[in-house]
Amino acid sequence: MDIKKQYFDAVKKRIEEAYDLQAEKLKTVASMFGECMENGGVVQLVGYKHDEEFVNELNYRAGGIAPYHAIKLKDMMLKGLIKAEDIESGKVFEDYSLIDKIPQAYQLDSRDMYVIVDFYGNKPLFVELAKRMKEEGHKVIGVVNKKTYDEKGGTLLDYCDEYLDMCGDTKDVALDIDGIKVDQLSSTITNITAQELTAEVYSYYVSRGKEAPVLLSANIKGADIHNNSLTDPYERRVR
Amino acid sequence: MIEAKTFKEEILNLLDVLYDSQKDNLEAVAVAFKECIEKGGVIHVFGSGHSVGLGIDIKDRVGSLVPIHIMDMSDFVTKGGVPLEEFMDRKNIFERRPNVAGKLYELYETKPEDIFVVISNSGINGIVIDIASIAKNNGHKVVIITSMKHTLAEEPRHPSGKKLYEFGDIVIDNCGPHGDALIPTDGVAKVCSVSSICNNCIAQSVAARTIEMLIEDNYEPLPVLNGDEDHDSKIKELYKGRI
Repeated sequence: MDIKKQYFDAVKKRIEEAYDLQAEKLKTVASMFGECMENGGVVQLVGYKHDEEFVNELNYRAGGIAPYHAIKLKDMMLKGLIKAEDIESGKVFEDYSLIDKIPQAYQLDSRDMYVIVDFYGNKPLFVELAKRMKEEGHKVIGVVNKKTYDEKGGTLLDYCDEYLDMCGDTKDVALDIDGIKVDQLSSTITNITAQELTAEVYSYYVSRGKEAPVLLSANIKGADIHNNSLTDPYERRVR
Repeated sequence: MIEAKTFKEEILNLLDVLYDSQKDNLEAVAVAFKECIEKGGVIHVFGSGHSVGLGIDIKDRVGSLVPIHIMDMSDFVTKGGVPLEEFMDRKNIFERRPNVAGKLYELYETKPEDIFVVISNSGINGIVIDIASIAKNNGHKVVIITSMKHTLAEEPRHPSGKKLYEFGDIVIDNCGPHGDALIPTDGVAKVCSVSSICNNCIAQSVAARTIEMLIEDNYEPLPVLNGDEDHDSKIKELYKGRI
């Protein structure tokens, strides 16, 4: 069979498996997001590199809900709070002082909750961030690749109220060509999970008799006015 | 009622539409990638906004092709001398601007055999159009990934009056709807966007087919990461300074 088709088939199969595994959990997490947003909070999203795909899929997204915000190492680098070489070398993930610098880059709020995306669930910086946010009384959601997390002994979920699984295999490879492992599934499945969450958060608003703050693609006529009307009330807390 | 299942069913259908309608274009891109790699070339990937996801998804993982270079928007600031305030200006959004992309292109080492992949759902903004145009004028093969429904419904923001797809040697339609969001609501906006998901499937399926053809051609060393540190660093060394 055409290997391109094999990839599409592998994604579709995993979409079904991930949904069967997490359908109820998606509703739980969406309700937590909805409650946070309803109380004036913003859902802060944290992830790096491949894990940032989930962050991007919720943050200021066409057809997405407005009160999300991404905490990005690259933004902090551009603002002079982190050295680029420390991100590349991974040194940044050992440096807890970075957590104290986050408020210099962004406007955070006691009503916010946190979603921390970490495939292995063992980056010391992210585990410490989850721990501190939990201690400060914020709700914390972890997003990990559970099979790998269990194999590697991740600890992120020790500090999370709930978690979502990226649903990748331990090595996260999708296909095998003559013994060569190729392609991955976890990020694409996680993107789909993010969109499924969007559907559920939208429904949360509707169930509360409220209009959901749904963003338009910034690349359609008139979108800037619509989107600004949803994000301006948050001032610098979103976008 | 809109729920997770609604989106799940819709995206499963859309992925069928995507594969069925684009399989020949996907094959053409995989052939172009294979030929590029066999000549020692590198695949430069550029997308702004949410379109950065495609490049991230197919780079630096076990099972990924090595000769992939991501043209990073933040390089405008860190290497291209653009002030941060200008880069982040919300009133004059950077990705929409024409005539600035040349600065980014000039930052990177390119060879004639290199391919450029430019991704934009709308295909109307200045920077992506200029990157594609510059790459084409420099003799590179250009692959465009866009939403044809979206791009045909909007006016270009580029002074040439052209849209991104017009610069593509090969154009892949990600089959997403105008506005990217898929599911109608009672309000003005639809919910749940699809471009990142479709773009990932496009990139991953092309990567798999490219690797399959490289194996068929006995191309050595096969530039695919396998998780072995020695192996992977030796392969990356072959492309040092270019990826």
